[in-house]
Parts: sequence; structure tokens; C-alpha cells
Amino acid sequence: MILLFSGVVAVLFGTGAFLMLKADLFRVVVGMVMISNAAILALIGSGLSRGAAPIHPLPDERISDPLVQAMALTAIVIGFGVTALLLAIAYRVYTSHESVDLDELSREEVRRERELEREEISL
Amino acid sequence: MTLLVLPLAVVWLGATVLALLDGRRRLVGWLAVGILGANVAALVVLGVRVAEDGRQELVTGNWPSGVGITLAADELGVLFAVLSSAVLLVALLYEVLGGVRSRTFPALVLFMGAGLTGLFLTGDLFNFFVFFELSMIPAYVLSVYGGERRQIGAAFIFAVVNLLGSFIFLISVAGMYHVTGTLEMGAAAERLAGAEPASVMLIAVGVFVAFGVKLGLFPFHFWLPPIYVGASPAVAAILSGALANIGAYGLLRFGAALLPAELELGSRALIVLGTVSILYGAMQALSRRDVREVLAYSSIGQAGYILVALAIGGRVGFFAAVVYAVVNSANKALLFLAAGLRGWLVGAAFVVGAFSVAGVPPSAGFFGKVAVFQAGVAEDSIALLVLLFVGGALSFVYMFQIYQHAFWRPEAAVGDVSPPVLRGLTLGLAAVIVAIGIWPEPLLALSGGAADLLAGAAGGGAR
Repeated sequence: MILLFSGVVAVLFGTGAFLMLKADLFRVVVGMVMISNAAILALIGSGLSRGAAPIHPLPDERISDPLVQAMALTAIVIGFGVTALLLAIAYRVYTSHESVDLDELSREEVRRERELEREEISL
Repeated sequence: MTLLVLPLAVVWLGATVLALLDGRRRLVGWLAVGILGANVAALVVLGVRVAEDGRQELVTGNWPSGVGITLAADELGVLFAVLSSAVLLVALLYEVLGGVRSRTFPALVLFMGAGLTGLFLTGDLFNFFVFFELSMIPAYVLSVYGGERRQIGAAFIFAVVNLLGSFIFLISVAGMYHVTGTLEMGAAAERLAGAEPASVMLIAVGVFVAFGVKLGLFPFHFWLPPIYVGASPAVAAILSGALANIGAYGLLRFGAALLPAELELGSRALIVLGTVSILYGAMQALSRRDVREVLAYSSIGQAGYILVALAIGGRVGFFAAVVYAVVNSANKALLFLAAGLRGWLVGAAFVVGAFSVAGVPPSAGFFGKVAVFQAGVAEDSIALLVLLFVGGALSFVYMFQIYQHAFWRPEAAVGDVSPPVLRGLTLGLAAVIVAIGIWPEPLLALSGGAADLLAGAAGGGAR
């Protein structure tokens, strides 16, 4: 079971990392979401145990680890909030640059740097 | 034990209330200053208690130790907490005096204060992550505050890179929990020492990457210059003076206290990375003419000193890393604030910061440099000492060069003269840095306590 979990985590993380290297901002956000989910799965996988829910454990009963589930819930909430924030920033980029392509944004940056340098020389 | 909860509760509740109010109103701004001031005062009281009685610990909800979430304050945590909150307070004061331009600014600064206070005072691995995120999210929002149009693109990259760092840290926390079965830092440190080395090494690398990104060390630095250059002065001071402390503290807490064997094993690699960081930062800073760009690259170089000191290890090395981190964040806060101002006496404040970065007495930076040199001597490597000297000399050259460029040229004097209160504030901060340089005993004593603690955790560490 742990092997399965780690396989899924690896695939999710790899896909997320691949998407993060794309120039399109929204693909980067989706990549971030996949990596955050890989981290959450890794959390669950770190305390994988079979057993009953630990609401009122009897002495001779095996219980599952409740801590990882609490952690996973917290991490899901944080990941959700962060995704909303990233989408908001990406939207702001779109409204101000009218582009969500990182290559285009960096070309604009290079143009600006050149202008600055020209000003510097003329000083 | 209310002393441990008080600083956190004050600033957290205050931030929640202020989030509902319009931060552009002067009254709200001053309320935020008051709340953060109370937080700093409570932390100072806590710091005095820790210095007298040693480590304070509180398990929330009256759970037995090991079950509940622990809050713990020791010399290392308290020192960084006081420092970060004080930098936040100065930056907030600067912005309130100069006029806040966004309704959320004071509340965001307070939320970051809550995150940082919690982060430095927690004794729980997962809570560390939660507070870490609580202090990073305001930073993502603040990084576009008062910036130009192009700042938003830099902010996006800043957010994505740092989030990736956060999730790598979360995966490392999951790994630590899997290996040790506990989230309490003290117990985790004990059990990690006996765990299988291969899996612990993997965790250690994850932790190093996460905090390396946060500190802006050489291979993970690329997000840093655009964001520092484009942000408003107060935000740049917050990012470099308060938020970057997470990286230094995280490396010290996790590297030295939780994973000492792995730190020892990787020390050669860390020294190499640190020296590359020092040289790269200094070279890039030398070739720039924009004040904030120079400061941004200087931050990368200064982070290298912290890493080198940490990698040398032992009491001397940890002591140097703590002192250097503290002094460096005070310097950077002063320099970024002063760089945004024009007028009489601003140059004086800036030059104090510049000399402090270069390590000229009687500024506080002198003791940082001395401590790092002591660590270099303890390591007994001539190459390292030469390198530390070259790095220091280069930092003197670029700081003085940029001082000349920004304050001595006639063209640089154009622009409006800043309000006297702002100039007074930066001058006050400069005076504090000189005061620390003249009377460094409290800082050195607390850092010494922190270093003893870390060296003790690293197994005697007699070097």
C-alpha cells in the first residue's frame, strides 16, 4: 500500500513539476495544485495504518492513525487558499499585461532593462 | 505560562479585527502599530524570562506532553521572534507615518507578525508548517503593494517558487513523521538520531532546499532580485529583514538541532554552496548601479555567510550563524528603508547600514564579521579565511560605491525631500545598530545561549 502511495505521489509531483516549467501561467497554477496534492498524499502515506476510527478505542482494538488525517485536512485548506490567491495574482497579471505567457512577460522585461541601461549611459 | 500565548494571541486577534477595518485611516494604522508594539513588548518580557530561567514550554489544552501541540520558547526562538517583530514594527511605523496606500496593509503586516511569532515559538513540526504558510501568504500579497505594473509578474514567480519550497518542506515533515512517529521537535530529534541514515538524508535535503529558497541562497536565489527591486521600501524591508529570518532560523533549528549528523555529513557541500553564494552575490552587486538591486544581490551574498557558519558547526559556528543572521536582517531593514528616502541625514543613516554590512566598527556588523572569522579560524582552513576576507572586502567596495552613486552625485539629489519623521525613523534605526555595536553584550549573551543549545543538541559539538 505504501508503495502504491509513493508511486502516485511521484507521478503527481512529476506531472506538477512538468506543468510548472510551462510558460502559460494557468498551467503553472495547475502544476502547483498537483504538487500540493502530492504533498497531502505523502502526509497520508506517512501514517498509513489499518484499524477502526479512534473515537472510543477499546483496549484490544487496532485503531487507525488520526493525526495524519488532521494534518491532511489542514494542508488541504492551506492548499485551497493558496490556489485561490495564485489564481487571483494570475488574473491581475492578465489584466495588467494582457497576456498570461511568461515568455512574453520576460521579453517585455528585457526591453525595459535595455531602456534603463540607455538612460544610465546618457546620464 | 500565559507569557507564551500572550504575544501570539495579541497580534493574531488584532490582525483579525483590523482585517475588517480600512487600513488607510490614520487611527487604524496607529492601532496596528500599538498591537504590534504590544507583541514586541510581550516578546521582550518572554525573552528576559527565557534568559533567566531557560526554556519555557506549554502544551496546549492541558494534554500530556507528547500528545498535545507544544509551544516552546528557547533563546534561539525568542531572539529571532523579537528581531522579526521589531523589524515589522519599524516598517509598519514607516508606512503609517508616510501614509498607507492600501486598506489591507496594516492587517497583512499583523498577520505576518502572527505567523512569524508562532513559527519561532512552536515546538511542533506540523505547526511550524502552518505558521510558515501563515507568514508567507501575507508576503505574497504585500509584494505587490505600492509596486509598479510589472511587479505583479515578479510577485507571481515569487509566490510559485516559495510555494514549491513550502510543499517540499511539507513532504519532509511527512517523512519525519513517518520515520519518527512524532511531531514534537525534541522527541523527533532523539528518534531521528537512531533512524536509518539513507531516509533521513533525503529528509535533510528536502529541508535544506525549502529553507534555501526562503533565504535566497545561491542556486535558489533567482526569484529574489526582481521582487526586492520592485517592492515598496517598507515591504522590501519586511521581506529581507523579517521574512528571510525564517530561512536562517529553519536552517539552524532543523539543520543543527534536528538533523546534526546529516549537517556534519553535508558540511563540505554546504561550505562550497555558501562560498559560491558569497562570491556570486558580491560580484553581481558590484556590477549593479541601482541601490535596491545592489541590496538584493548583497542579501544573497550575506545569506552565504550564514550557511558557511552553520556548516562549520560546533558552538563557534552556530554562534556566528545566529549573530550574523540577526545583524544582517537589521542592516537590510535599515538600508531598504533609507534607500527610499531623500534629504538631509538620510545619507548618514544609509552609510551606517553600509558600514555595518561591510563590518566596520562601531556598527553591529563588526561583531557578525568577527564571529564568522572566529568560526573560520576554528575550521582551520586558510582558503576559507581568505575567502571570507575577500567577501568582506568586496562588500565594502560595493556598499561604498552605491553610497557614492546614490548620495554624492548631483543628479541623484533630484526629487522631493522626504518628510522629517521618516528620516528621523531611519536615523533612529541606524542609532540602534550603532548602539548594538557599542553595547553588544545582550545580543552576544542570547546568541551564546542559542549556540550552547544547538551545540548541545548536536552532541557536545566540542570544537
